[in-house]
Amino acid sequence: MSEASPLGEGQGGEVPWQRLSPWAVLLLLLSGSASLLRQHMPLVLGAGAGLALVERLGLRELAVGGAGLLVLAGLVSLLYYRRFRYCCDGDVLIVQKGLLEHREFKVAARHVQSIVIRQPVYMRPFGLVLWEVETLAGEASRIALPGIRRERAEALERQLRPPEDRRRQAEPRPGAAAESLPEEMQAVTRFAISAKAIMLHGLASRSIYLIAAMLSPLVRPLERWLHDRLPQLDLGAWLPGSPLLAVAAGLLAVVTLLALLAILAAWWRFHGFVLLDAGERQIQRSGLVHRQEQTLSLARLQVVEWVQTGLGRLLGRGYLVCHQYGALGGDAGESRRFLVPGLSEAQGAALTAHFWQSDSGQGDSGQAAARQALRRVDPSYRRVLFLRYLLLFVGGAALVLGLLIPLELSWPAWGGLAAGLPLLAAVLAHLRWIATGWAQEGDFLRVRRGVVGQRTGIFPLRHLISLRLQQSWMQRRRGVATLHLELASGRQTLPYLKEDDACRLADMLLFTAESTQLV
Amino acid sequence: MTFTNTSLDIQALPALAEAPLEAVSPRLAPCQAVLRSLHWLLLTGLAAFVPFMIAEIAAWQPWPALAVALLGAVGVVFGWLEARRRAYGLRQHDLIYRRGLLVQSTQVLPLARLQHIETSSNPVERAFGLVRLVCFTAGGRGADMVLEGLTADRAAAIRRHLLTRLEGAEPESTGTDAP
Repeated sequence: MSEASPLGEGQGGEVPWQRLSPWAVLLLLLSGSASLLRQHMPLVLGAGAGLALVERLGLRELAVGGAGLLVLAGLVSLLYYRRFRYCCDGDVLIVQKGLLEHREFKVAARHVQSIVIRQPVYMRPFGLVLWEVETLAGEASRIALPGIRRERAEALERQLRPPEDRRRQAEPRPGAAAESLPEEMQAVTRFAISAKAIMLHGLASRSIYLIAAMLSPLVRPLERWLHDRLPQLDLGAWLPGSPLLAVAAGLLAVVTLLALLAILAAWWRFHGFVLLDAGERQIQRSGLVHRQEQTLSLARLQVVEWVQTGLGRLLGRGYLVCHQYGALGGDAGESRRFLVPGLSEAQGAALTAHFWQSDSGQGDSGQAAARQALRRVDPSYRRVLFLRYLLLFVGGAALVLGLLIPLELSWPAWGGLAAGLPLLAAVLAHLRWIATGWAQEGDFLRVRRGVVGQRTGIFPLRHLISLRLQQSWMQRRRGVATLHLELASGRQTLPYLKEDDACRLADMLLFTAESTQLV
Repeated sequence: MTFTNTSLDIQALPALAEAPLEAVSPRLAPCQAVLRSLHWLLLTGLAAFVPFMIAEIAAWQPWPALAVALLGAVGVVFGWLEARRRAYGLRQHDLIYRRGLLVQSTQVLPLARLQHIETSSNPVERAFGLVRLVCFTAGGRGADMVLEGLTADRAAAIRRHLLTRLEGAEPESTGTDAP
């Protein structure tokens, strides 16, 4: 029997429609303006385009234009609010929206794979949240209710739980409190982040590179500013005497600043991170200013990926990414997924086993399957990589030296280049070869890839969608083959396996995927 | 409930390498040749007739056009040979498609993963009486398998068989329901 719904579910009669909170008009305006500003910031500010626009139009005209746009945006938000309505008909969410084109979406509980509740800082005073649901069609199918009350969001979440979740709800969990308690209270904390773990995650995540890339447009203005200002400053008093030492100190300052910003970004996103185990559902809550609650249905889990950047490997830290159906954007889109940050290797392995416990049929204490050493792929892969990298570097060097920046190099410099490029190609090829590995562990496959940083995907064999066995002319001569595995969350590739291994693995994968579907 | 976990004989599993495959229609080779010729003719035309502002470079213009034409001729020949080697197989639980000449690939799609099927053909394919069978699965961002070079009758028969399997299978997953 389904529980009573505060959403006014119709019982045989007409379904009453619900609207967003009236404050949603203001919030829609704010979030729309923020996203517009964020998207067009480089266009407005880049290369002085904003200043040129102000000079050309005049401040007063620009202010009048801005006010006009603001009024227009307000009217559009109001119209959007009026057209937006939703309701729950049984376990089906119906959403109607659209400004010019009216659209109706229906999401059945059995198609839901994840639910996210966000609460940006400007929604907090109104007690509103942004509620998002994602179906099995993947990230492109997300439907959001921007600005509903938290209680209503929680009621919606309860109503749209997948049927598997409801079935498993009755099963007792080790460590859970008495069953008479509300369900949220029964959830067991699996992981709570510490201040040290946030700091290490900030350093070990990819934020540091992203921040560097984001700040790179500021280099030229900063250089110009320094060029203008430096002669007026008494640098001798505080800069080291040696130019080399000064450059090293400058570099150290830049790296420290980037590290600090990366830690701040991690703190902003993952402050108070906690992973709760509510049986079939895994819930995570985090956020310093923008609070976020994300729910993962274990029945929809496709691949668990253990990610370590180069620095993360040095610090012994990494993070887990849980992939579901229809993941978009590859590695770049992982911030939108169910991510568990700041884990040590042991914590990562334990949580991976926990996520797959329902598939392995073992308890939390046991691993999904006995850990095996990863098998390396054929050494011919290293030679192929070496040739690819070498061609790339030689081509790049020829382009840069010959066309873009015509330089006259001395003979020792040419010699250094001739020796350095093959050496660099060989090192990178070797690193990528040793990072590439795979292991079949019971009903699971573990696939690792990377160069300095590494990503290890772990998934049940039965999650295979389709496979492709590929052999080039050269691979056929060497008796190796590449296996491309298509999963619901994306592709996993096993390059240069021994032909026999590749065929055996393909047969095993097909047998498991096809026989599981028959049960 | 009794839990069993019997060991599998890996050697006894159905081997993909031994699956019998059937060649696609022989009409695919000339069809591919026509399609590729049209494609390379367009590129050759661009290389030959795009006007250059600098006279010195314009004097050399026929040579790149000739190179593109030669590359196109090689591409057409390879396309012809490759199309003749394409094959497909329909087993009880999966669909197999083999293609490629220098780089050969064998794609296998378990029928249980199939979500929906489409047939399509462009004017050149229709002129040769050929049809493409496009198979989609859950979570995919596009077509997961495209079987080219089937005659209309053959494509209809395979489609019927796959639809029968789809109707017999439990609906596994769809995304947001269409209005």
